[in-house]
Amino acid sequence: MADQGGSQHGIARSSRVRTEEQRLRDLEKIRKYRELEDQVRSRVSQRDYSPETFQLTSKLLRFNPEYYTIWNVRRRCLISGSFSKPSAGSSCSKGSSSFSPSDTTTTSSGSYSSSSSTATPPNPASQTVGKSGITADPDAPATDDTKQDLDLIRSELGFTIPLLLQSPKCYWIWSYRLWILRQAIERLPVATARRIWEEELGLASKMLGRDRRNFHAWGYRRHVVEQLESSSLQGSSLVEAGFEYTESMIKSDLSNFSAWHSRSKLIPRLLDERAADGTARRAFLDKELDKIREAINVGPEDQSLWYYHQFLVLSLVGHDRDQTFIPELSLQDRVGYLKHEIEEIKDLLEDYQDIKLIYEGLFEYTIYVCQLEGRRPNASEQADLAAWLAKLKELDPMRNGRWTDLERDLAATAG
Amino acid sequence: MAAKFKQLPEELQLATSAHVKYIQSLDTRKDEYDYWLTEHLRLNGLYWGLTALHLLGHPEALPRTETIDFVLSCQHESGGFGAAPGHDAHMLSTVSAVQILAMVDAFDELESRGKGKAQVGKYIANLQNRQTGTFAGDEWGEEDTRFLYGAFNALSLLGLLHLVDVDKAVDHIAACANFDGGYGVSPGAESHAGQIFTCVAALTIAGRQDLVDKERLGRWLSERQIAGGGLNGRPEKKEDVCYSWWVLSSLEMIGKTHWIDKDQLIAFILRCQDPERGGISDRPGDMVDVWHTVFGLAGLSLLQYPGLQPVDEVYCMPKSTIARVLGR
Repeated sequence: MADQGGSQHGIARSSRVRTEEQRLRDLEKIRKYRELEDQVRSRVSQRDYSPETFQLTSKLLRFNPEYYTIWNVRRRCLISGSFSKPSAGSSCSKGSSSFSPSDTTTTSSGSYSSSSSTATPPNPASQTVGKSGITADPDAPATDDTKQDLDLIRSELGFTIPLLLQSPKCYWIWSYRLWILRQAIERLPVATARRIWEEELGLASKMLGRDRRNFHAWGYRRHVVEQLESSSLQGSSLVEAGFEYTESMIKSDLSNFSAWHSRSKLIPRLLDERAADGTARRAFLDKELDKIREAINVGPEDQSLWYYHQFLVLSLVGHDRDQTFIPELSLQDRVGYLKHEIEEIKDLLEDYQDIKLIYEGLFEYTIYVCQLEGRRPNASEQADLAAWLAKLKELDPMRNGRWTDLERDLAATAG
Repeated sequence: MAAKFKQLPEELQLATSAHVKYIQSLDTRKDEYDYWLTEHLRLNGLYWGLTALHLLGHPEALPRTETIDFVLSCQHESGGFGAAPGHDAHMLSTVSAVQILAMVDAFDELESRGKGKAQVGKYIANLQNRQTGTFAGDEWGEEDTRFLYGAFNALSLLGLLHLVDVDKAVDHIAACANFDGGYGVSPGAESHAGQIFTCVAALTIAGRQDLVDKERLGRWLSERQIAGGGLNGRPEKKEDVCYSWWVLSSLEMIGKTHWIDKDQLIAFILRCQDPERGGISDRPGDMVDVWHTVFGLAGLSLLQYPGLQPVDEVYCMPKSTIARVLGR
């Protein structure tokens, strides 16, 4: 298997037959593209990672950001020429004057697209300089090498922005950007590196603003947060801020499963870090249940909402610490909670008779009550379960195989 | 089932010969810009095309010797394969290379004319993160459960799974599991059908399906089928033919294929074919490509559509190849 790059998603089939004019235009595009590609390849075959090669990769990657080998050539250009050497020592890289960072290099997160790396040739001179003045002391004055690396890193981050906006699901661009960010940790003073990483939260938000479900962007955000929390960036927990972020994403759009998922992952840590006691945890659970029930009242056909409800209910059913964020609840309390949820869901039936997710919830949660109490469903529960299953079969015949299996299991428990 | 599908309108019959011709034509499209823009997928594309041809019952439609020559021309000294000559080695193209060589029964040629199985195994094993158990795609360090699955797939075909720390890798997959029974791209990531396929298949290769919550996962997977019969990859997303493979093969591995409506899915995939010029697209009426073609056909094969060769749900290769290579 491989990623989906290069496959055709959502392009209408009508364009399949080309006119002669289109064909000729294609041939000209191919000629230009291959000419550029040949230039890069011939330089690479001579191990030429000079500023000129670097510039050619900028051009080629703008044509084709999926071309992973060219991203690698670009990395090699940076390592073998442009970056200073990442080790402590004297700052003797005065020869780096030939390095001319882009005059449009961004210094704030606000102007992502203004930087252009074609104007940032690497500096072969620094390759021979040896030891640079990189230091872990954030208060130390920036050395020439540090400045050079910083400019280069910013310029590279700027280079990938328009490409990401154009191809937000291209694995290679995201992965290159993270590689550049790792260089910041290795090559810059901690405080400087931290600032750069912090700005990445802005990028993740921008990308999620354009596509709220882009899992590349969610994954990127998660990774950035992890790094910002880590000791390599002198970090501390960002769990409260992360939780607030899911809150704002959910507020702007209830049907965002990615945000609900992210929330479910943060809750156990959030409560631990708040040193929440049993009462606080219970209050937290009440609030979350109210919130999701309110949402389900508005959109009972939305799977995203029911998945989050399921997550909360599962934390009532599980009792190990790794299964629940409210281990303090007694069995009786947990059954009480579940029964309350079942009643609330039953109320939904007054307004919505034809939503299968409602019946599925009722069915599942009733089974959980029996499991928690370690008993078989009683006669009235049996009748309810059978009625709900019948409704599920009627409303959702697509998954009949599953309903039939559940029916069989139910018959087995009825003994 | 065969009888039933004969009753469908003609455009819902599988256009076998058009698909074979379409795949054969893929390497002759050098006057199309896209041909050059997708060179970084060439070896993957050959695997997709060849698998499709095998499933269609026309394994000879691509010349064997040229296929082997091309695959070997992509190999580096390290043992890894690039997407095409001149492209860097990467896990994804290396796995495709091994799969292609397995399908055309050419491990001997890898030994005699290539760098040999052992070197390929070494390349893959070196990409394992020995701390976390997961795998990188190449020397630059991007990690993803796709690469872990790829490693298990290729190494098991080569009989070299012992080169890596299987237990550590299994622990990593377990850390990617979510409350809904699914798996994400890394620990903490939301469940995604493609990633579920990679994780469940890797666990199956490792003989550790006991770690899968089959009821919960089966439920999540079955809910991927939406009105119109197609499958999506995550809740509240659009349907797409490639998920006919990721979702369906995962259901098959955990024994829950009967939890979706097979006939509706078959009809959806068939509506996505271009019956005249061949190939299958993501959704009806869209542009076809070899990626959606193979995963559409593999889906149909798992659904036992008449006339297709049986596909292995773990390897996405013909069952006959897997039986020969793994001796089962």
